[in-house]
Amino acid sequence: MNRFRRQFAFGMLALVAATVGALWLHQKFGALPNHAFLTGWALLAGMFGLTIYNARKKLPFLPLGSSETWLQVHIYLGFFTTLLFLIHLNFRVPHGWFEITLAWLFGLVSGSGMVGLFFSRVLPRRLATRGGEVIFEKIAAQRHGLQIAAENLALGTEAKSLFIAEFYAQRLAAFFSGPKHFWLHLAESRRPVSTLLAGLEELRRFASEGERDKLDRLAALIRQKDGLDYHRALQLALRLWLFVHIPLTYGLLVFTGLHIVLVFGFSGGAR
Amino acid sequence: MSGPLPAPEFDAQNYARPNQNWTCGHAGEGKACRLGPDAKGRCRATAECKPALETKPGETKGRWRCTRPGEACESGPLPDGSCGRPIARCSPEPTLRVWRGRATLAVIAVSFGLLLVTLGNPPWRNRFISPGELSKVHSGDAFAMLATTNHLSQGCGACHVAGNSGPNGMVTAALRAEPGMLELVKLATARPAEPTVIDESCLKCHPTRNFHQPNAPAMSCAFCHAEHQGAGLAATTDANCNFCHGSAGKLAAAGGFQGSAAAVIHHFADDHPQFRFITEPWPDRDTLKFNHELHLTRATIPKLPGGTRLDCTFCHQPDAAGAFMKPVVFEKNCRVCHALQFDPETPQLTLPHGSADFVSAFLRSLPKQYLNLATNPAAADAFVSQKLAALRTQFGSGEDLERRIFFSSATLGPETQMGTLKGATRAIFPGCAYCHEVKPTAAGAPQIFRPVLPERWLTRAKFNHAKHAGMACTQCHDAVHSQSTADVLLPGREVCTVCHSPHGGVADACAECHTYHRPK
Repeated sequence: MNRFRRQFAFGMLALVAATVGALWLHQKFGALPNHAFLTGWALLAGMFGLTIYNARKKLPFLPLGSSETWLQVHIYLGFFTTLLFLIHLNFRVPHGWFEITLAWLFGLVSGSGMVGLFFSRVLPRRLATRGGEVIFEKIAAQRHGLQIAAENLALGTEAKSLFIAEFYAQRLAAFFSGPKHFWLHLAESRRPVSTLLAGLEELRRFASEGERDKLDRLAALIRQKDGLDYHRALQLALRLWLFVHIPLTYGLLVFTGLHIVLVFGFSGGAR
Repeated sequence: MSGPLPAPEFDAQNYARPNQNWTCGHAGEGKACRLGPDAKGRCRATAECKPALETKPGETKGRWRCTRPGEACESGPLPDGSCGRPIARCSPEPTLRVWRGRATLAVIAVSFGLLLVTLGNPPWRNRFISPGELSKVHSGDAFAMLATTNHLSQGCGACHVAGNSGPNGMVTAALRAEPGMLELVKLATARPAEPTVIDESCLKCHPTRNFHQPNAPAMSCAFCHAEHQGAGLAATTDANCNFCHGSAGKLAAAGGFQGSAAAVIHHFADDHPQFRFITEPWPDRDTLKFNHELHLTRATIPKLPGGTRLDCTFCHQPDAAGAFMKPVVFEKNCRVCHALQFDPETPQLTLPHGSADFVSAFLRSLPKQYLNLATNPAAADAFVSQKLAALRTQFGSGEDLERRIFFSSATLGPETQMGTLKGATRAIFPGCAYCHEVKPTAAGAPQIFRPVLPERWLTRAKFNHAKHAGMACTQCHDAVHSQSTADVLLPGREVCTVCHSPHGGVADACAECHTYHRPK
């Protein structure tokens, strides 16, 4: 059993044990008058544990365990905290604007975390099957290079092929000008690049030997650009879910603070 | 630095700085400068190098040398010592980290802004922080008026100390909560149903819990009556009821329970006692003589005017709400068959119903009644004499007729058979005593006991016939086998639990039938 599988097995075992334990405690002590207060504090502790993972990432120099371990704990604690949240709600739908907003924030943070986990498990494998390693920060420069190369090929001083230049102006200029087809790449669709390559193939019928060579090189550039777009789309997805997860976490903490004030200020200890 | 060195192919000249907040504006063209923007996103580009002045021994001026990394440029520094290859300045671009940080700040700002706006405006505040709609009894104009009468605050402040406070007051109230915020042991060890601070607000309007049974123990109101759950106070759950009724000790401590009321109950289908009208039993004390079996099953019962057979719904009609049945009324439900025709020769002549004195007066006015029926004025007297003579032949004197009408039970008088005399389509009247209990009095008309028809039998239980409209009456009410008025035709618990049980799949909670409040 390799290290990842061992970690996954232990983590899942711990999560299942914690879930069963939490449900048993809920069954046994769910009727306690202050059940909501106690589960609320447990939930806050869980949220605090989840949030400090972000702080840990900002302090890499401190000897607080590996980031990988922290991530595993963050994932399993996230699942457990979601369960705690449902127990805190007593498995009921909340009412009132404030509580509904709070529940939505929690749901969005949890949901985006699960989406992020899904992405981090699926997208890297897909990236590995499509070309070599591409550094996200250098994609723009590489795309620019491809654009220059394609322009030179189709429109440069040595081009001398009107229909290739026309095809470039009509179909390829926009394609090379920037990142394209984000959603289609996420959906693993090859339709855009296939359409462009089919267009090039159509041109081959009218091309001379030298022009066919250009078309072949242009097709290679299109494939490279499509590969870059694919990497960009998937790597961006691997980063974009954090744009929901992290900002809403802080919104959730703000609302949670008020929630604590409200429940104690208004209940005075009652249920 | 204890970390591994960069890989051999690492391009140190073109470092992308993914952990920095800003990247060079020329990075997209693959021409990022080596220096990169500063921490605030300002371009720091000047020239490709900072020439160094090299002065050989004996020289005074020296010579500027290109210090460009990698390879010195061909043109070299300018005579004044500045680099001859200035770098075009750029507009640095924020990295994803910066955008994420901005999004985070925006969310925090929006959160605080939203909370400040809503908490700073009392009407918005109350609506925003309310955890759900209040019950009707604790909202609206009537409650506001009552709150004023009882010297309470309006709005949330009527029940919550922090209700009419701003953010400061809320925080203060939260810090003064009992048990306190961090008194986890107190929170964990609080006894169920123990009165709490919030109950003091309830007692301002309900000082003696006067709508509860007198033996109800002092409990937290909120234990059973959860507010902010919608227009009605949240239904009391079985767990609430079982807190006392599922505990023999608590029932004994409360006292005042006798018989089946003292039984320990957890679920209707499991251990709810049989209904008292069956176990005690409670016979129907009504004096009216009525035979359900005869009316519903016997072939001698004539058909109704529409040609239909008599069934339950002819007499038992639901009230406007559909929950209960309207009382059976003689004129509407009985007279169609029991027309009180006492003279077989004159079926259109019927006795009045409702008062023995009226009946007696009617009989004394028979000559006048027959006179009104005479069709030929010239032969009216002869018609009346003929009718009276026929009555005398059948019943004897007028006193005998009156006695027979009041006291005959159809087994004493001449008419012992119903409904077949001389082609009559309806039952001929045998006598008041056929249906009623009739007692002679010392003087005047006899006493006829009025039927006592209870509108509801189980007055402490809720029931709704409309919700059972899909069932046949006889599934619950065994009327076709009932010959005696004393039979209470209500179903036993076992009939109800066919549906109202976990097995039957229909709700079987205590509150489905019972209301906790003391009957008025």
